[in-house]
Amino acid sequence: MSVRPGPWLAAPTALFLLAFFAMPLLIVSWYSLMPPRTFSMLGTPTLANYGAAFSDGYEKPLLWSMLGATLTTLICAVLAWPTAKILHAHAGRAASIITALIALPIFISESVRLFGLSMFLMPRGGILAGSLNAWFDIQIGSILNTRLAALLGMIYVYFPFMLFPLLLGVSLIPEDRLEAARDLGAGRWALFREIELPLAAPGLMIGALLTFVLCLGANAEAAILGGRAVTVISAAIEQRFSYAQDWPMGAALTVLVILVTAAVVWPVLRRVDLNRIIQR
Amino acid sequence: MATVTPEGGTAVPALSLQEITRRFGALTAVDAVTLDIAEGEFFTIVGPSGSGKSTLVRLLAGLEVPTAGTLLLRGEDITRQPANQRPTAMVFQSLALFDHRSVGQNIEFAMKMKGVAPQARRERVLELLSLLRLPEDYYDRAVTQCSGGERQRVAMARALASDPEILFFDEPLSALDYRLRKTLEVELKELHQRTGKTFIYITHSLEEAMVMSDRIAIMQEGRFVQVGTPQDIYQRPRNRFVAGFMGEVNILAIRGRGESAKFAGLGLPAPEVAGAYAVLRPEALQAGDGGRVRFDADVVQRLMLGSRTQYHLRVGDLGLIAEIGAGVGNLMEPGQRARFSFDPDDIAWVAE
Repeated sequence: MSVRPGPWLAAPTALFLLAFFAMPLLIVSWYSLMPPRTFSMLGTPTLANYGAAFSDGYEKPLLWSMLGATLTTLICAVLAWPTAKILHAHAGRAASIITALIALPIFISESVRLFGLSMFLMPRGGILAGSLNAWFDIQIGSILNTRLAALLGMIYVYFPFMLFPLLLGVSLIPEDRLEAARDLGAGRWALFREIELPLAAPGLMIGALLTFVLCLGANAEAAILGGRAVTVISAAIEQRFSYAQDWPMGAALTVLVILVTAAVVWPVLRRVDLNRIIQR
Repeated sequence: MATVTPEGGTAVPALSLQEITRRFGALTAVDAVTLDIAEGEFFTIVGPSGSGKSTLVRLLAGLEVPTAGTLLLRGEDITRQPANQRPTAMVFQSLALFDHRSVGQNIEFAMKMKGVAPQARRERVLELLSLLRLPEDYYDRAVTQCSGGERQRVAMARALASDPEILFFDEPLSALDYRLRKTLEVELKELHQRTGKTFIYITHSLEEAMVMSDRIAIMQEGRFVQVGTPQDIYQRPRNRFVAGFMGEVNILAIRGRGESAKFAGLGLPAPEVAGAYAVLRPEALQAGDGGRVRFDADVVQRLMLGSRTQYHLRVGDLGLIAEIGAGVGNLMEPGQRARFSFDPDDIAWVAE
């Protein structure tokens, strides 16, 4: 008699996912339906929290987060495309060093890096303003504690998450296709639109997805660089759970973020063949 | 440079190469090649890998820039013109089809680049599909669903779509199996006749070149060793390299000079010596005493080739190949000793 080991081997992972992925999701979803400012899970289910989410000004942090994530994703994509093209074209020692320089900061705590950037941007005694003042006698203001600073921080932190998938995407473009297109009359722009973009699309999609989803949950950039000039959704959720002691409201906002994320991730994952990329 | 046409007029060559050179560091891939290709000609460049033939065709297509030399298209200097501005098109060795596009979108690519309206593009694609004997409903088919031969035809249709002045082919048939290659060779020749365009073809197979070409250039180490019609090259190879390229030929060294000149190995006197080597095609050897140079040989092997019978012979240390037409004389058996002969008139003499 043959024993199929598949289900048994999958059991540990399945149990783990059930306990730490499915359960929290279910609990949060259920909590979002409880009456406002209660801590019991046995109340009568209500949609009051969702109503409040769209009427009491909570939509603003969500919109800010979505705007920040969209802008960061777009700007990172525009910056990462030429970087990826150059790194791919000049693959070798220099490219490896540059790649390492971009990748290494990932291993350093995000807060440490953001405080570093904060010191760089500080007015008067900051590294940028101070140096310009001391050496060139130029006085500048500072963008610290503005939305722009928060955006800059997000671009800085999440750039590698766009670059590396895109580098993989760019490497999926065979050189002879580019030559064939050029031979058939394609100029720079047509080459990009007709050949490079569609062929690198899987990498670009994955990079955009990672960047967008990470930015949507980002909090530290707005806190450290933005100086609370803007409240992002994760900060709003944290406030609901801790300071405001309104768990059902926090849960409702969390569910809304998950829905937004799913609405973005799902169509992309349906179109991109992840297996093909992983096999490369 | 003008050439004299058979009608006695002069014509500007479709493509004129003047001292075209391409160096990669210390390596000279293409070494001062000068050549005129006539309008409507099927010109094939044959050479072993590393001979520079692929680099040469890439220079002609504009995918490489020559280190030195001038390239004229119908008298106009196009040496520095990038590929996307040249009115030429290439069929790549890898075909380089756009797998993310349909057959129709592949074929119409060049027209789209030129800004041709979608309706006109579609009509032209359907025209090309029928020219290449592909069904009309292939317009919407994914390229990845086509067979090897169909992909080949799509690549040719794509190159033809922009109505190029010259078509380049960089060994497009080398990846196909023998029978499909033979079929497509004939189709290519027909396509050349029907379109009347100038074809410049690259291959490592002289046999393939012979079937299709008006003229052939044999390339070795970046230079043309010989340029001529298929008959020229077959009957009068310029040197041992060209002779060896023809596949199964007998190359006999000549020892001594004048009266005492001999076919090395055969040890027979060599009358009318005109080179260091005598190139003797297998069919020039006859069974029996018919030719003026006669010798006895051991039959080592017999291969039936259908229309001919091939014998592998041994005379002392010398191996020879003879091909006798089917039905001529009696079949000889391996192990048999037999008399063979040839006429010195059938020899192609080569110096080195």
